[in-house]
Amino acid sequence: MNAQPDAAIVVSNVTVSYGAKRALDDVSLTVPAGASFALLGPNGAGKTTLISVLCTLRRPDRGSAAVAGADVVRMPTQARRSIGVVFQDSSLDDRLSAWENLEFHGLVYGMPKKRRRTMIEAALALVELEEWTHDIVRSFSGGMRRRLEIARALLHEPRILFLDEPTVGLDAQTRQRIWQYLETLRRERGLTVLTTTHYIEEVEDADSVCIIDQGRIIAQDTPAALKERFGQRWLTVLPQDQEAADAILASVPQVRRLGAQRLALPAEDEAATDAFLSTFRDRLSEVRFQPPTLESVFLSLTGRELRDRADGQRDAEKAAGRRGGQR
Amino acid sequence: MEMLALLRGLYAIWLRELTRATRDRAQLIGGVSRPLIWLLILGVGLNPYFRGEVYGEVRFVIPYTYLQFLFPAVIVLNIMYTSIQFAVSVIWDREFGFLREVLVSPMPRPLILLGKVLGGSTVAMIHGGLVLILARFADVTLSPLQIVQALGLMFVLAFGLTSFGVILAARVRSFEGFGVFSNTIILPLYFTSSSVFPLDPSLTRAQIVTAYPEWLVFMVQINPITYAVDALRGILITFNQFPSAMGSAVIFGMAVVFFVVALLDFRRA
Amino acid sequence: MTPARPHRWGRALLNIGAAACLLLGASLLPPDTSLNDRKASGVLKLCVPPSYPPLVTGKPDEPGYDIELARAIAGKLELRLLVNVLPSMGQDFNPRNWSLTRAQCDLVGGGVADTAQTRSFMQTLATGAETGWVIIGKSGAQLSKGDAVAVLPGTSGLDRIALSNWVRRAGLTARLAATPADLERLLTSSEVAAAITERYVAAQLSEGFSVGWLDPESFPVFPMAFGLWKGDQTLMRAVRQALHQLEREGMVSQLQDHYGVSRLGPG
Repeated sequence: MNAQPDAAIVVSNVTVSYGAKRALDDVSLTVPAGASFALLGPNGAGKTTLISVLCTLRRPDRGSAAVAGADVVRMPTQARRSIGVVFQDSSLDDRLSAWENLEFHGLVYGMPKKRRRTMIEAALALVELEEWTHDIVRSFSGGMRRRLEIARALLHEPRILFLDEPTVGLDAQTRQRIWQYLETLRRERGLTVLTTTHYIEEVEDADSVCIIDQGRIIAQDTPAALKERFGQRWLTVLPQDQEAADAILASVPQVRRLGAQRLALPAEDEAATDAFLSTFRDRLSEVRFQPPTLESVFLSLTGRELRDRADGQRDAEKAAGRRGGQR
Repeated sequence: MEMLALLRGLYAIWLRELTRATRDRAQLIGGVSRPLIWLLILGVGLNPYFRGEVYGEVRFVIPYTYLQFLFPAVIVLNIMYTSIQFAVSVIWDREFGFLREVLVSPMPRPLILLGKVLGGSTVAMIHGGLVLILARFADVTLSPLQIVQALGLMFVLAFGLTSFGVILAARVRSFEGFGVFSNTIILPLYFTSSSVFPLDPSLTRAQIVTAYPEWLVFMVQINPITYAVDALRGILITFNQFPSAMGSAVIFGMAVVFFVVALLDFRRA
Repeated sequence: MTPARPHRWGRALLNIGAAACLLLGASLLPPDTSLNDRKASGVLKLCVPPSYPPLVTGKPDEPGYDIELARAIAGKLELRLLVNVLPSMGQDFNPRNWSLTRAQCDLVGGGVADTAQTRSFMQTLATGAETGWVIIGKSGAQLSKGDAVAVLPGTSGLDRIALSNWVRRAGLTARLAATPADLERLLTSSEVAAAITERYVAAQLSEGFSVGWLDPESFPVFPMAFGLWKGDQTLMRAVRQALHQLEREGMVSQLQDHYGVSRLGPG
């Protein structure tokens, strides 16, 4: 094995295709043990596919991956024992109670009765769900379900935790609370946490951020280093009409389209910015300066915004659809 | 993974199926209403047509009353419905993600499937067993040994049909229309299993053909449910149209073949 | 503080229990009107042949085992027994020609054997009497190839085809007898080495013949029964219950002793 002894996750040259579409294209990355690692990218970038490969649900077409030193193709059982997974969509049984869901998990992981009992109680305490222990999951809110899933993923004391979009569809307060649990766990247990997200603000505290787009890794570093390297101030504007937009695009070559209507241009050069504004001031209906954030890093790297406007709406629809579908 | 841990996992999957099914009132209502419809309403309704008014002049020449004849078939019907509807639970798990929770666990794939099928078969056997409560109504007297034998056979039958449900689930992409779909499978199989109509009262091939068109007789003969019904009749009312070992052989054969196919499907998925 | 854990099976058992209760309740519903119809008319009709001793004797003071038993059953059901003597019964071995109808008979007695053939047409309730093929004069083992035997098949629904096969296999020649008297004549005239007939036919012969079951390994002994129409479940249950009650009260064995129902040979 070429894995370093302290690497929790090693991915080398993994390629995965769905038909003609390449979901992952020659991806390689290493996550040291005990790290908090974030995969950042828009929807459809290949984050979920990478998680599927790492938790042995999808074989890579080419390349190899190992978690906790176990190759996911050759030693899937050993790999599975060392990981806990929180999927993007709820995978709880909503006809069972919280306790029964955890009990099921404990049994499937072969935990003996006594240990099951203590671990379930501890896990429920961690995510503050003791009061609802014997309530049927169907009555739970989205946030409660998510917390229960995190409790479940941790029940068998995995060394690595995968969280695929753990905070989608949750309100800000719940999101914050979930990150707090994870931070506590990482510190206390030396857990390696790999998260995928498209919420920029959630990865600011990560040890390492990997930006992924269209199946390829385009940058990987600490958040600070990324901002330093690729971050720049951007000026985003909303032209009053199509004619104004065309005029701006024709006269300023550095301007990029952002979504359907808005335009962005680098705002490092003050003189150029001032000139631009004085020229087009009357034909803009909205002007905004963006400080160097990971969002602007993504913009610099790909020329697109991380999350287009329709995204939030889609999340909401998805969450609603799920609730409706589950009776 | 050592043996005990695997057994715990198997138990968990089995228990979950059982818990879900027995908490689901709708499913139980189906399990109760089917025998009521088929035995009470159909059985009583057709009774006068099968009893004969003149000694020696009955068309329905089997040494049992119509209700006794129908009784084992209704058990099989209830098992068929419950088993094949089990596919919904499989699709459910797949569509709503619960399957992944099990797939990322250290449980081996075949054991996951076995646990699920065992759970589904137990539920189907319970539904079949519920029909036994109506034995008094149908004038079927049962000894404890007969009940045990019948439940055993019902379980093996349910195991085969549940595996068949899993095979269906692998080929059906969504719930939509699954109810209709399952009805189009269950009812024809049921009606061509010599269940409601005594196709071939006097047990020789020559006479079936004179009484019913050849194509129908052919359908009855290739239908495995025919032999399942026959085996259960053998136990419950000691009446066999076919050699008694044949029914059990077909039931065990179905269980093995369907489970293996389901396993291959499940591995691929 | 976790709240008390509800029992895992609590709700499940409750649901299954409710389902079972519902079915149990449904199983108490009467499946037909046969008993109610009899209660309304106040009469229980029994069809018998003119003579089938000792089950039906034709004597007014000692009418026969089946008739007395049926009368006792009718008494338990608070019905009056009406005996329909049908001469057609027993004259032909094809029961179709007996022209028994549901309108005439609720019970059929006086020689109904509880065989698969009978059950194809009626449901049966064993009365404690038994029948089967008997051999008169000699035992089966004493016969040798080429011997002639007199055969009177009787009417109770025993398997004639099996009997004729047996006769052929044993290398015997069968001489059909038309009536018990005919059979007796053949026996006494020594035209035949032995006679084969049904047990209760043998009971009608004069004293002095030795009677034994014919080859018990090939021919089972069948219980005699009352025949009831298929589908008359409520009546069947009531009659069965009454019969069991009479058995417990000792009435049945008393009648059996009186008529010599369990005695083999001429009575």
